[in-house]
Amino acid sequence: MPTNPIRIAVVTTIYRYLSHAQHMADRFLVGYPHNGAWHRPNAKVVSLYVDQKPEGDLSEARANEFGFKVYPTIAEALRCGGDRLACDAVLIIGEHGKYPRNEKGQILYPRYEFFKQCVDVFEKDGRAVPVYNDKNLSYSFEKAKWMVDTAHRMKFPLMGGSSLPVTWRLPDLELPLNCEIEEALMVGVGGSDAMDYHALEALQCMVERRRGGETGIRSVQLLENDDVWDAGARGLWSKDLLSSALSRSDTPLGLTVLDGRTQNLVANGQLPVLVKNPWAYMIERRDGLRTTLLMLNGAVRDYNFAARVKGFRRPQSTQFFLSPEPNVTYSACLMNKAEEMFTTGKAPYPIERTLTVSGILESCLTSRVEGHKRLETPHLDVRYHAPAQSQYCRA
Amino acid sequence: MSIRRRDFLTGLGAIPFAARAQKRPQLAGVVTVYRKFSHAQHIIDRYLEGYGWEGEYHYPPMDLVSLYVDQVGSDDLSRDRAQRHPSMTIYPTIAETLTRGTSKLAVDGVVIVGEHGHYPRNEKGQTEYPRYRFFTETVKVFKSSGRSVPVFSDKHLSWNWDWAKEMFDTSRSMGFPFMAGSSLPVTWRIPSVEMPDNCEVEEALCCCYGGVDSYDFHGLETLQCMVERRRGGEKGVKWLQAYRGDAFWQAYRDGVWPHDLMEAALCRSDTLKPARQGFNDIFPTVEEMQRLVRNPVAYRYEHLDGVRCTMLLLNGLIEDFNFAARLRGRSQIFSVQMYLPMPPGRTTLADFFSPLVNNMEKMYLSGKPTLPLERTLLTTGLTAAGVESLYRKGERFDTPHLAISYQPTRESTFERS
Repeated sequence: MPTNPIRIAVVTTIYRYLSHAQHMADRFLVGYPHNGAWHRPNAKVVSLYVDQKPEGDLSEARANEFGFKVYPTIAEALRCGGDRLACDAVLIIGEHGKYPRNEKGQILYPRYEFFKQCVDVFEKDGRAVPVYNDKNLSYSFEKAKWMVDTAHRMKFPLMGGSSLPVTWRLPDLELPLNCEIEEALMVGVGGSDAMDYHALEALQCMVERRRGGETGIRSVQLLENDDVWDAGARGLWSKDLLSSALSRSDTPLGLTVLDGRTQNLVANGQLPVLVKNPWAYMIERRDGLRTTLLMLNGAVRDYNFAARVKGFRRPQSTQFFLSPEPNVTYSACLMNKAEEMFTTGKAPYPIERTLTVSGILESCLTSRVEGHKRLETPHLDVRYHAPAQSQYCRA
Repeated sequence: MSIRRRDFLTGLGAIPFAARAQKRPQLAGVVTVYRKFSHAQHIIDRYLEGYGWEGEYHYPPMDLVSLYVDQVGSDDLSRDRAQRHPSMTIYPTIAETLTRGTSKLAVDGVVIVGEHGHYPRNEKGQTEYPRYRFFTETVKVFKSSGRSVPVFSDKHLSWNWDWAKEMFDTSRSMGFPFMAGSSLPVTWRIPSVEMPDNCEVEEALCCCYGGVDSYDFHGLETLQCMVERRRGGEKGVKWLQAYRGDAFWQAYRDGVWPHDLMEAALCRSDTLKPARQGFNDIFPTVEEMQRLVRNPVAYRYEHLDGVRCTMLLLNGLIEDFNFAARLRGRSQIFSVQMYLPMPPGRTTLADFFSPLVNNMEKMYLSGKPTLPLERTLLTTGLTAAGVESLYRKGERFDTPHLAISYQPTRESTFERS
């Protein structure tokens, strides 16, 4: 039986070609590839708020073509210009646009502010609807925590995060639920407070499946430069896991770019040559699990994971597949999850994942500005269990 | 082609030592050209330098000890490789490469890579890569030595059907393991799925890209590695018809191939060209496809058991290989992308060669091909038939010579772990 289309209000920083808002919100306008078909969601974008309109802004063009209005405030967007909440779901995409950075290098995207204004409308109008928030909840764990607490208090579904946990994996690896993970390592690339978030969430979606679930974060430390290699030499992160993760990479740089050759980057001594400024995000969990994100700009260009899991002779490893621009079909995987929440009223995976990773990232960057020292993180006492069902694209 | 005397002498000196010290299989490489991103570089490098495989860095348990390079240009890498890997010697002829400068076959396997390099193009647009010559010279050494070893030959057997058939027959009559073909059947799949066992295929289609007598072969291998798993196995192909340019779009409008399969295959693509400015991922209308696609080509053919297949080269619209099939008893179309991590745009390594090399390794170790040679024979014939039909301006071309029947391997052979 056909149901009425879900009315979506889009709240975003900018709407420009290849901004997150464009390639994510567009999925609800023109459909997207899913399960081998062009899926056209039973949804209608009814309103848009856009915080900045830089050159190349597409918001008015989209509104004209698809029959919705761009409103000057978030409240008006959620109420479609009327006096009551007039949408069934909110898509908050606070990525891209010009916003200041703080002393830790975090871009102060106004996701918390966007969310708060949505919640104000929910409170005033006595009704709340599902909210999707792109990427980390906020640069500040305190703000992020408030967002999660508010959603729980007001009982509306909230989902957030990156595409990496839901994109295709090469190979199609899911760690068994309740497995015993002995150590895990992720390799990522790109800039801080943008791409490191993606890599951390990829790591998180794997390790949260361990026995006992996520127990919270005991401490973090961000190392840089030679300290990263020293930590490896001292066994603070596992070279075997790095080797396994990099064996999944299709993008070794250096000699491979020079003449096409394959390379064992861990064994051939090229890593310190290629990576001028390595970062290691050392994350210790409350149950004792050690996890590490190595940001290795200059070595590779893809995102790869490896873990030593009890009962498996060899490390379990995979590449989180980021399909090419401009299609970035991985964002279709993510919007399919948002659509699922909008349709069912249930977030397919816990917002505590996003909260945890938001907190890890902030604390790691704090460690960096405080002389790279190890920081105890009693505030990151976020416990949760992974969904039993796998949530990434595999069909 | 010349060879430096020093390389030659170094190599000769190395033979007895290598033979004494190791029981690992020793391989000879016979290639057209060894430059960055040539197939020879991708394949031979993996023997010399190893590669990432199943979560670790894998060094093949065998040694590539001798190499013949047909064309050595200014961008040649074979000399660099020989210098860095002194256990590999370059020889000036195929015979010397296989005998390692002696009078008898002195290797345990042969790797033939006859792709890339400057070779004549005939009036049908086929590049006359010397795979047949490489193969016959290899066989000559086998005969004179009274002994044969496993052979792999990259891509289709030959541009010339009669020669391809002769290569197939020779390997059978002499009884040596022979394997060939493309990376497409063995690379990653997105999603990671195999054709259901014993399924009944009603119709199958591949949307891909590239040139005639080139990537069309990869598209045909994509189709064949899937449809060969249908109930009853492969029986061969009875006719083929090719369409190009305006005839392609006329055939599209006439419904010569099913539009729903074409759409399903395109929905597995990660590279669907946005037809409209400002959109990054939007499904094109037929008019938009017509505007985007440059000189489209279709090969449509029917198997002897009635299954029809279509291979579409859609340059300008996509840059990947996507398969779709209608299977009896399933309401949803079965579809998958055969993923090629393709340098230099998307990756730096053409890692789809890793599963191909890995399959070759298994053959060199066990003496048993892991992929059916009949598949490559059939796709070789289909490629030539497609070229022929295009040459005859889209004439339907009967293919009684392609009544090739075989059974697929029981085990899946594509990369998935």
